[in-house]
Amino acid sequence: MTVRKLALLAAAAVAAVACGGGTSTGQTTITLGAPLGLTGSLTKESTLTQQGYNLWLDWINARGGIVVNGVKHPVVIKYYDDTSNANQSAVLMQKLITEDKAQFLLGPYGSAATATDAAIAEQNQIPMVEANGAAQSIFNQGYKYTFGVLSPANKYLEGVIDMAATLSPKPTTIAMLSADDNFSIEVADAINSYAPTKGMRVVLYKKYKNGATNLSAEVQAAKAVNADIVLNSGHLQEAIAINKAAKEQKLNAKIFAYSVGPSTPDFIAALGNDANYVYDGSQWTPQVKYTPAFYLTVSDYVAAYKAKYPGLGDPDYHVAESTAACLALQRAIENAGSLDPKKVRDALAALDVTVFFGQIKFDSRGINIYKPMVVEQIQAGVHHTVFPADVADAQAKYPTPAWDQR
Amino acid sequence: MADFVQLVILGLLAGGVYVAVGVGFGLVWGVLNIVNLAHGALVIIGSYITWQLFTALHLDPFLTLPVDAVALFVLGYALQRGVINRIIRAPLLFTFLLTFGLNLVVINVLLFIFGSDFRSVTPAYSGQGLEFGSVVIPYVPLISLGVAILLSAALAFILNRTRIGLAINAIAADRDAAQLVGIDLRHAYAVTFGLGAACAGVAGGLIAMSQAITPTAGEPYTLQAFVVVILGGLGRVSATVVGGLAFGLVEVFAQSIPGSGSVFANAIAFGLMVLVLVTRPQGLLGRLR
Amino acid sequence: MFLILGAILAAYALLAPLTSLDAAQSANVPLLADRLWFRIATIIAMFIVMATAWNIIGGITGYAAFGNVAFFGIGAYTTGMLIAKAKWPFLVALPFAPLVSAGFAALVGLPLLRLRGHYFAVASLGVGVAVGELVQNIDYGGQPLFGGASGLFLPIYAIDNRGLFFFYLMVAAATIAIAVTWWVLRSRFGYGLIAIRENEEAAAVLGVNTTVYKVAAFALSAALTGLAGGIFSQWNVFINQDNTFPIDYNVQMILMALLGGTGTVFGPAVGAVLLQLLIQFLGGSLPISFDIPFVSADARPILAQVILGVLLVGVVIFVPRGVIDFFGGRSRLSLSYLRRSLRETSL
Repeated sequence: MTVRKLALLAAAAVAAVACGGGTSTGQTTITLGAPLGLTGSLTKESTLTQQGYNLWLDWINARGGIVVNGVKHPVVIKYYDDTSNANQSAVLMQKLITEDKAQFLLGPYGSAATATDAAIAEQNQIPMVEANGAAQSIFNQGYKYTFGVLSPANKYLEGVIDMAATLSPKPTTIAMLSADDNFSIEVADAINSYAPTKGMRVVLYKKYKNGATNLSAEVQAAKAVNADIVLNSGHLQEAIAINKAAKEQKLNAKIFAYSVGPSTPDFIAALGNDANYVYDGSQWTPQVKYTPAFYLTVSDYVAAYKAKYPGLGDPDYHVAESTAACLALQRAIENAGSLDPKKVRDALAALDVTVFFGQIKFDSRGINIYKPMVVEQIQAGVHHTVFPADVADAQAKYPTPAWDQR
Repeated sequence: MADFVQLVILGLLAGGVYVAVGVGFGLVWGVLNIVNLAHGALVIIGSYITWQLFTALHLDPFLTLPVDAVALFVLGYALQRGVINRIIRAPLLFTFLLTFGLNLVVINVLLFIFGSDFRSVTPAYSGQGLEFGSVVIPYVPLISLGVAILLSAALAFILNRTRIGLAINAIAADRDAAQLVGIDLRHAYAVTFGLGAACAGVAGGLIAMSQAITPTAGEPYTLQAFVVVILGGLGRVSATVVGGLAFGLVEVFAQSIPGSGSVFANAIAFGLMVLVLVTRPQGLLGRLR
Repeated sequence: MFLILGAILAAYALLAPLTSLDAAQSANVPLLADRLWFRIATIIAMFIVMATAWNIIGGITGYAAFGNVAFFGIGAYTTGMLIAKAKWPFLVALPFAPLVSAGFAALVGLPLLRLRGHYFAVASLGVGVAVGELVQNIDYGGQPLFGGASGLFLPIYAIDNRGLFFFYLMVAAATIAIAVTWWVLRSRFGYGLIAIRENEEAAAVLGVNTTVYKVAAFALSAALTGLAGGIFSQWNVFINQDNTFPIDYNVQMILMALLGGTGTVFGPAVGAVLLQLLIQFLGGSLPISFDIPFVSADARPILAQVILGVLLVGVVIFVPRGVIDFFGGRSRLSLSYLRRSLRETSL
């Protein structure tokens, strides 16, 4: 053992001890925190989530902060990169709670990380408001500290079915394709039980591996049953693959609708004209018409997004729902008139408010089943809201023309 | 019947990409004894080059493939010469770790440059194809398959008919003997890795047309390359071609199992690979070495 | 001297939580007194188990298993199923995790361990991938058999100082793994395994029943890995394919064993501590923060990953015999050491 090695170890030990002890937050600041996949496979969606959080952060701090009993508390949001790994997300949640003294938590991206983090929030009894984990299994565990502002997974494609029921000639058969992750399966299973109530039949239900890039066999199966409606419950990657394969293999249907994917600008950029006529079930669109009780109106929100993130087009629903999570938390803190986690939790449970994102109100499990989903369609390279009629800004272009007649 | 024919065609077409991904991986593994965990990341570099040229200069994506090949050859040559050559005499697993590190670097540099947006190359003729009754053969995958076969043929030609190719073969047979007869090992190793990377680049160009890419999109391809190379048999280009096509067929037929059986496509492919390894470790076509 | 210092640090790490938590927190004793520390330390201990277990088959026996994560997942799901579906108490369910994992390893080990080198590595990788997908997707009577895509939610374990409890449990598992390795290296069994690594044919000639030895080593490795998985399932509360069969754990456990030094008793543990601390440090979860100048907040996590990759490459190139080689006192970390190792391994 040389002196040098000893010195090295000692230095490491001293560094570990000396630098410890996070700076305690000031009396007036409210610290929020969120682990996000800033690198790794969920970077895209996590970045959108972060944009949504930051939009609200700028707004609230411009007003001096959240008002609690007449005192303004500026807000800080701490972010950490969980490398798109749910286990790391749990570590960082704990870091936010213990080290950064985050009083309240914002959700990570994705149902798997949200499920893990919900257990952490529960064990530490710190409220977590999340906007990006729609799988209901998370909310069926009896957790009391996790709240989701978004409509649950089972609602994602039901709007498309509702819309289809109003069209003529009415489509009657459905080919349902689904990735095998928890969120997508919940979306697809819901359609299996919902479609018959609207007089439609699921003639094909096919699951594929989450993240699959070659879906030609699935598309071929959908072609074989010649369904009126082709639904996909998956993610952006798979939605693009299915749309490409559908054109190549001449799969023609009256409606192509995908749960996640078409709402992002990437979908149109990647597919060009082939993106036209595609529908998706969306948590929110820039065309919805809600009268907000506070914060921005829908059009002001879109403008604020474009000002802060120029060149990215309209905000998609991932951004909006993430902002909405912050709004729910803000209003709950104001209503509670306290920063006590238990009081804020109770205020969240009792919350009922309408913002640009729609109504935010939680059922006994903590998920928002009160806000409707809307249906979007891409028409001539632009997103339009086509259902429900009271928020629509365009008519659905129906039926979708065959590939060789576009 | 038409349905069966269509599935066979789809499987073979899907195999084109797997062939292209597999040949480079197999070459590096077979000759250099390097299991390159960064192969998928190199593939995606090729995808981004094609996407960039298509978007900025409106070049036909197939015409960008030579650019992918040259760029990746240079990168591969430099990587082997500058980095991997330094641990080539260390035990096998060290190359796992080294290439795992490289994989992290490449993915995150791509993330830094291109961001996390999903991109895809969709040329005007995308989605069109030949039709025979109810059977369709789309152009893009068809040309991709042709490119993959051509690529393999070119690689086989280089390996069997050129001076450097013969040197590479000599190394694969006996490294120390090859050095004794005056082969410049450092250069030959670097050329081999460069060729492997060039194949990855071409594969990436093809992948940019068939799916959406993002910096992490290459990871499944590294795993699939294992299966492709093992199915065919390590050590011969033609065997990898068979392995790639077989993998495409297995995938498509596994996915067309009625009901929810298609989620097992990956499990079936990897299970089949294990079965081949246990019963025929030389691969479906390979020779024992 | 290194050992003494290490022992003191380890003792501090283990005992500090025992002193009253509130007292420690109010005294602002850093790093060792809070739930964050327990979580990080538990993860480190978990990787110590996995790397040490991998070392038994990969380092001592010389069979480069590349699918050990399957045993972690099987262990996690065994315990998880027994708790979530059969409603067994955790401590009764836990022993089944190593048993089922070892049984599975023995079953697949018989055919797989006939393969050598790459072929074994790839075959074990294939098994690892296939098992994960089967667990997620197998249905029975229309219902997912193992919780399916939703994963399994376990009840939160009702015990005071939960973090402390799982920390000590995982440390116990790590201690068992290291003790088992220590025993193996001093036993007839271990000599047989080393003989197999050095020359399998010669070992057979010398009367080592190579098949039995190899399968036993594989099963032992699997049992320890499965134990870690079993503890993980109750600790993490939620398990699914993503968090119990992650392919990068395969790479990480090998990386740790190589980093510390394969074939040794403490090497993999040292590697696990170093690599996990590095990952946590770069990820920003340690109390020691660092700033990268001239880099925007958005680019920082990306750069941290690049740094991690470059460090891995650098370590593999410059310290091919593992860091324990010079920390253990056999060599000194010096320029000439680096030059010599470079010469040994490069072309």
